[in-house]
Amino acid sequence: MNEAMNFNFLRNAPLPPNGRKVAVIGAGPSGLAAAGYLGGLGYQVEVYDKLPKPGGLMTFGIPSHRIPSARIDAGVLILERSLGVNFHCKTKVCCSAPLHEEEGDHFSWDMIGLGELVENHDAVIICTGSWKSRRLGIPGEKLAGVYSGLEFLFPIRAARYDTRNMHTPDVTGKNVIVIGAGHSAMDAAHAALHLDAAKVSVVYRRTKEDAPCGTFEIDRLLELGATWVEKTSPTAILGKAEVQALEVEGPEGKRTLPADTVIGAIGEIPTPPFAGELGLENIRKGDVRWLNMTAINNVFVAGDVLSGPSKVGKAVESGLKAARSLANWLDMKSHDPDACFSEQERYKEGRP
Amino acid sequence: MSAQKTLFVDYSKCIGCETCEAVCGFINDKPRIHMTRTRDGLMVPLYCHHCEEAHCAKVCKKGAIAKDRDGALVLQTMLCRGCETRQCILACPFGAIFATATGVAVRKCDLCASRRDLGMNPACAEMCPCGAVMFVERDKVEQLTTEESETSLKRVIEHIRPAVRRKA
Ligand SMILES: Cc1cc2nc3c(=O)[nH]c(=O)nc-3n(C[C@H](O)[C@H](O)[C@H](O)COP(=O)(O)OP(=O)(O)OC[C@H]3O[C@@H](n4cnc5c(N)ncnc54)[C@H](O)[C@@H]3O)c2cc1C
Ligand code: SF4
Ligand code: SF4
Repeated sequence: MNEAMNFNFLRNAPLPPNGRKVAVIGAGPSGLAAAGYLGGLGYQVEVYDKLPKPGGLMTFGIPSHRIPSARIDAGVLILERSLGVNFHCKTKVCCSAPLHEEEGDHFSWDMIGLGELVENHDAVIICTGSWKSRRLGIPGEKLAGVYSGLEFLFPIRAARYDTRNMHTPDVTGKNVIVIGAGHSAMDAAHAALHLDAAKVSVVYRRTKEDAPCGTFEIDRLLELGATWVEKTSPTAILGKAEVQALEVEGPEGKRTLPADTVIGAIGEIPTPPFAGELGLENIRKGDVRWLNMTAINNVFVAGDVLSGPSKVGKAVESGLKAARSLANWLDMKSHDPDACFSEQERYKEGRP
Repeated sequence: MSAQKTLFVDYSKCIGCETCEAVCGFINDKPRIHMTRTRDGLMVPLYCHHCEEAHCAKVCKKGAIAKDRDGALVLQTMLCRGCETRQCILACPFGAIFATATGVAVRKCDLCASRRDLGMNPACAEMCPCGAVMFVERDKVEQLTTEESETSLKRVIEHIRPAVRRKA
C-alpha cells in the first residue's frame, strides 16, 4: 500500500533539469504541493521553513492521531530523493513582524531576507500559512494560563524537537476551558483530556448544530468526558497573575466558571512576510492579471497565507495552481525577456 | 485479465480535509470524488466503489458505462447520450455519478484511467494525507474493513440514501 502523501503524484519521473531555480517559503501542504509540481517540471526547488521539520500545520498543528506524520515524512523523502528538492529547515525568511512574534519562531537559527531569495532565484513562492492566532479581545487575556489554540497545541507537537525551549502545557488535574467549536478547538479539548486535565469544558457562542466541527465531533468529545456549554460568550478572564475563572454571558445571564487554563481557539490570521508590499488584498479579490502573482514580479503566493485559515485540500490546490501559474509566467518571460508588469498594468483597475 | 481493483475509503481515518477532491479536480478539471457534509457535520468524500455488479452499468441503455481491464467502471463519454432520466445517477447506491451543467451529461470516476495506463495510481489515493483512500484489489476490501470503518460507512450511507431518493 501507499505509505506516503505523494507530492510527486503528477508524474512517474521528473523532466530533465530545466536550469530554473525557485524558492518555496513554507513547507506546509501548499508549499509541498508547489514543490512537487515544479520539481516534476525539472525546476531546482529550494524549500525554506522556520520549523525543524517540513509539514506545516499537518505536522505541528493537527494532532498525529488525525494525520499520521510518517506519511508526511515519507512524502518529503520522495520530494528529496526523486525530485532533488532541497529543504532548509529552521530558516526564517524575514518578516514584517519582529522575531518571536508567531508560534515556532524560536526554532529558527537562520534568517534570510525575501529580497535575497528573489535575487538568487528565478521565482519565489510564499506559502507561509496562517499562524498568528486571533485574540479574544476581552479583559484578562494577558494572564498566565491563557492560550490561543495554536499556542496550546503547537508545543505538544514541537516538544519532540527541542525539549529545552518547548514545554508541553501542564494541565494535569486542572480545570480547562476551551472557547470555540472549530477543528482547532476540538483538537485542543482532546489534547487537554489526553494530558489528564481534571475537567474540560467547551464554550461556544452558538448551538451545537451551528458548530463548524459538526455534532459528531462534539458528541465524541462528550463521550470522552468533556462538558459542552452552548449559546455562551466569554466576557472576561478573571485572576491576579494567573487565570482563576472565566466570566461568561449565556441564556442564564452572566456567570463565572472556575478555570485554571483558558484556550481561545477562535481561529488564526495570515502572517505573510512584507504583507503590504505584496498586495495580497488584490490577489484575493482576483484583481490581478497573473494568477497568484504578488505585487513583486516573480513572487507568487499560495495557501492559507492568501486565503486565511482553510483546509489541507484547499492549500494543496492553491499550491498546485500557483506553481502552474509561476511556470507559465517564466515560460512566457523566456519568450519575451522584457515581460514584466508596470505598476499601472498590474492591477485591472489601476493602482488601488 | 489483471487483478480487479477498486478504491476503498476508510471513513474512520478520513479527517474531511478535501485533498482527494482537490487533486481530482486539478487533474480532471472537475472533481469526480465529492465532499459532502453529513447531518451530524462529518465531512466525507462520496466516491465510486467500482462495484462488482455495477447498477450504473446495468441501467444505462446505451452501454456507456463499461468495465475496463483493471475492473474500473469507465464512462465512455462518446456513448453517453445524456438521457433525460439520468438513470445511472439514480441507480448508484453511493451517490458517485454527478450531473454536469455543460458537455457530457454526467461524470464519474474512472480510477484515473490515463494515469493507470502509465503505471500510476489514482491521484486521490496518492495524496490523501491520512491514508484513508486506498487503491486496492477488490477482494482485499474485506480485509481492510474494520469495525470503525463500518460504523463510519453506515453514517455516510444513512446520509446519502435519503438524498438519492429525494432526487428521484
Ligand atoms: C489545530 C488545527 C487543526 C486543523 N485541522 C484540520 C483538519 O482537520 N482538516 C483540514 O483540512 N485542515 C485542518 N486545519 C487547517 C490546515 O492545517 C491548514 O489549512 C493547512 O495546513 C494550510 O496549509 P499551508 O500550506 O497554507 O500553511 P501551513 O500548513 O500553515 O504551513 C506554513 C509553513 O510556513 C512556515 N513559515 C511561516 N512563516 C515563515 C517564514 N517567515 N519563513 C519560513 N517559514 C515560514 C511555517 O513554519 C509552516 O511550516 C487545522 C488547523 C489547525 C491549526
Ligand atoms: S458509479 Fe456507483 S453503481 Fe457504478 S460502479 Fe461506481 S459506485 Fe457502483
Ligand atoms: S484526502 Fe483523505 S482525509 Fe482528506 S477528505 Fe479525502 S479521504 Fe478524507
